[in-house]
Amino acid sequence: MQPTSSMNEQFLKNWQMGLQIFRPSIDNTSVSERKRAIKLSADVAMASLRKGTTCWSRALIQKAATEDSFLVRQMLAGIKEETLINRKLPKIVCHRKIVRRSKKILMRRKSSSAMEEVTAKAKKLVKRKTKGLRNVVPGGEFMSNNVLLIQETLDYIVSLQTQVNVMRSIVDAAEAGVER
Amino acid sequence: MMMMMMNGGEATEAELFLNCDDMSVLERQRVQLNYHQYHHPGFEPTLPCFFPNSSKMNVGEVDSFLPSAGLDLPEIYGELHGDARISVSPGNITTESGNSKKRKFGCVDTETKVFNEKKKMMMMDREVVVEEEEEEEEEEKSKVTEQCTRSIMKMKNKAKKEQNSCSNDSSKVTKDSQRTDYIHVRARRGQATDSHSIAERARREKISERMKFLQDLVPGCEKITGKAGMLDEIINYVQSLQRQVEFLSMKLATVSPRLDFNVDEIFSKEVVSAPMMNLPNTVMPPHMMVNSGYPHDMVNSGYVHFNPMQQVVTSSDPLSCFNNGQSATMWDSDVQNLYKTPYPDDMEMVFIYSVFIKGHHTYFEIDESCGGVNGTELYPDVKYMTVSEFLDTLL
Repeated sequence: MQPTSSMNEQFLKNWQMGLQIFRPSIDNTSVSERKRAIKLSADVAMASLRKGTTCWSRALIQKAATEDSFLVRQMLAGIKEETLINRKLPKIVCHRKIVRRSKKILMRRKSSSAMEEVTAKAKKLVKRKTKGLRNVVPGGEFMSNNVLLIQETLDYIVSLQTQVNVMRSIVDAAEAGVER
Repeated sequence: MMMMMMNGGEATEAELFLNCDDMSVLERQRVQLNYHQYHHPGFEPTLPCFFPNSSKMNVGEVDSFLPSAGLDLPEIYGELHGDARISVSPGNITTESGNSKKRKFGCVDTETKVFNEKKKMMMMDREVVVEEEEEEEEEEKSKVTEQCTRSIMKMKNKAKKEQNSCSNDSSKVTKDSQRTDYIHVRARRGQATDSHSIAERARREKISERMKFLQDLVPGCEKITGKAGMLDEIINYVQSLQRQVEFLSMKLATVSPRLDFNVDEIFSKEVVSAPMMNLPNTVMPPHMMVNSGYPHDMVNSGYVHFNPMQQVVTSSDPLSCFNNGQSATMWDSDVQNLYKTPYPDDMEMVFIYSVFIKGHHTYFEIDESCGGVNGTELYPDVKYMTVSEFLDTLL
């Protein structure tokens, strides 16, 4: 599924508004500052498309709020409630040492055949990859089960695609303007 | 979008969400339990089962959440099944809940109900359910089969399970809709009947469903079959998209030092070049340009650039589909190429003109001052032939 044009429009509108709000940190500042402000406004615009229904959007807004709380609040005030910033879900804590020790004990007790070893290794690999995915997707640490994780990833990928498309076209237009 | 928040048997999750969120989340959970009651065979009896017609479903509060969720799901899943776009409004949802009441209590055709549940499973529920309840049953059947043959084929295995649960639940609905109900599930042939394993199997199937959607979404992974490989591809894709965003924001920062000046110009051009995005002209309010003290000639120049913009924008559409493996720098050079002189159709003619008419490869003299040495002097013993002599032999 590709991002729809309505999503593109919505993102563009949100981003437009965000850039207006972020203007003080964009005008006459260094390149890195500008880049940071642009990226922040784009991320918040993307996350506000989902209006707080998805885990990743909330986590993204929280991350943005830690960087520049005031402007992010201003941006969200136009779109929806600011309570999103104050929400905090409990992190999924995993005491690795304890888990590893218990697993070792279990493995010793089990008499492992070849098949079991193979499947165990495959499961380990999958677990490692899912952990990697959680690190990449914003708010992945707060998603308690894999089904939710994959669903959020789906939505996140689609939103990222809209973001990239719109930003790309804006950059193209800006470059065309500069050249001519 | 939080469709699978509640997994069967994980009551701690509910507690977590209860503690940290407001009541709207709980209502969301209820709504999802509503729709996916048939997905949780190992459902704990402590968590109340709600039927779509249950009075506990506060339709008014659901309205605020479901439309946005409804908008999401069809967009994500609708295309994959070739369905038309769904525009869910609060009105639809209320009628749906009201009508489903009639359907369940009236003479229910279990088959259409099975189809109904199948649709819910594939999460194209809203449109189909609304439509079904508005029309006759035969029409519904044909429509359903037309639209969702794929889902029906998939779900044939679960038909028995569903029928069982449907009939059980419909009888129970008449008696007590408020109390907790068990979902009766029939295990498939040749598989364990443990409640845990059934729940696990349902979860696994859900995960594999989602992975299939992801396979359609991520380019270039049609051939990858394993979960680990797929996850790898997904991680790489997400990381590359994130890197692209970083790169694009950096580019935008460098391209327009005074972003306010260029933002207006950019957005005016975007409005003018309608083909890519269907932005109405009112999106870029004219007063914005006036307020920024925009000189009028810039506005005109925006229109002067209409044609090249249009050409550029439409040709940037294929670029908007991300090609896996295409790094940001490669894409950058593509963009550069788009903005140089127009690409000629007949390259051969251009080369011939350049080389033979303009003499681009022969207009310079090679002399000693360059620092080179004449090869014929170095090796006087070897018999040399000039290029013209050689080519003359070919004529």
